[in-house]
Amino acid sequence: MADLKPAGRLPLLFFGMLSLLGGVMAGLARLGWEVPAPAMQAAGVHGPLMIAAFFGTVISLERAVAAGRNWAYLAPLAAGASGIVLLAGAPLLAGQILGSLAAFGLIAASAVALRRQVAAFTVVLTLAAGCWLVGNLAWLASSNVSTAVAWWLLFLVLTIAGERLELTRFLPTPPVAQKLFIGIVGVLLIGALTAVNSLFSTGLLALAFWLLRYDIARRNIATEGLTRFIAACLLSGYAWLLVAGLLGLAGAFTPGHPWRDAALHAIGLGFVFSMVFGHALIIFPAVTRIKIPYHPALYLSLVLLHLTLALRVLGSLAGNFDLRHLAALLNGLVLIVFIVTIATLVRHNAPRGAR
Amino acid sequence: MTAALDTEQIRTALRKVVDPEVGANIVDLGLIYRIEFDAPGKLLIEMTMTSPACPMGEMIVDDAYAELDSVLPADCQPEIRLVWEPPWAPSMMSEKCRLSLGWNEADST
Repeated sequence: MADLKPAGRLPLLFFGMLSLLGGVMAGLARLGWEVPAPAMQAAGVHGPLMIAAFFGTVISLERAVAAGRNWAYLAPLAAGASGIVLLAGAPLLAGQILGSLAAFGLIAASAVALRRQVAAFTVVLTLAAGCWLVGNLAWLASSNVSTAVAWWLLFLVLTIAGERLELTRFLPTPPVAQKLFIGIVGVLLIGALTAVNSLFSTGLLALAFWLLRYDIARRNIATEGLTRFIAACLLSGYAWLLVAGLLGLAGAFTPGHPWRDAALHAIGLGFVFSMVFGHALIIFPAVTRIKIPYHPALYLSLVLLHLTLALRVLGSLAGNFDLRHLAALLNGLVLIVFIVTIATLVRHNAPRGAR
Repeated sequence: MTAALDTEQIRTALRKVVDPEVGANIVDLGLIYRIEFDAPGKLLIEMTMTSPACPMGEMIVDDAYAELDSVLPADCQPEIRLVWEPPWAPSMMSEKCRLSLGWNEADST
């Protein structure tokens, strides 16, 4: 079976990290921070850089490793390239086309998993990849990022939810739980399709309750080490998904709503990055074959993420721009704290881990 | 040489490979489908993953090789094959593992 070697995957990951760096700075530019020129001109594409380019690269890279097929790595390559193109100030169309090709690639790689096993979770993961494509095409057709937002959020939310559904099989989960899950996914898809924000928000809220109730994290929080850390990341992330659902019910997903920033970042930072923090120690070594030992210092990044995000949400709810402005910068710095923590752990491990 | 090692010792070695997401080892999770000494000095192991969409497979296989290296004599060559048939099901977990995850005997699959 032809699969790309780990040494070839690392550049793809770094490629994606450029979109993260540029995307965060583009986000800061939106809030009036001085950033380097490439990020300044990309202020309007903060969302595409973060979701389609960065997460698109990471998720399709992870799926390519699972599929174990050479061609599947074209998806993270295209997603990473879409980010570079956006940061380079090339015509939006170039970024949109590359992003759409990447999404096609992810759908194909997800279909490999689906063929190996037809189950609710493999279907949901493939649907999530489809949402990424729909979002990209909506953006391409309308030239308006906000038409893509719900679909891109679903790309992330359903990818995570599908993987969590898979893991509930370890527990004696009642059959009704899977039916509920499928119903919630249906509500979310209809919510995005009809652009009825209250329906979409209800779906997010229901999913948060479902995850808090059925996820294996509820049991694993009582264990220790890495397993417990992952559970802490998950459960706190679910709390942010719940917050996003509540804000959405209050109208926050409407473009121009003063709480929109709070709702979008409750999902993007609170729910999704908690997941990233928890799984970096599993996914990074799985992709690159570089081991990262667990260390309790990882909790520092997680706590800082929640505290600085809470500040941002409070700033947004209270209409206090200065607070939101400062908190956004702190959000970005937390990501640096996390990356430095990981790099330190890798370096620390290198002399013993080298064979 | 290999006769001194039985499949139970192989299982014991493989129990050191843990899935951090669940906090249980790959033997008790029921991921090991087959352990066979095909010929002298040739060990074949077939294992699966709970999810065909999970990127951890290759790494878990590598970890399993590393654990086998520590118990197998130098002249024994292990081969681990990742298989997807039959798909993993919760009923494949060991009794001890199931109980620790909250299952009881009445629960099916």
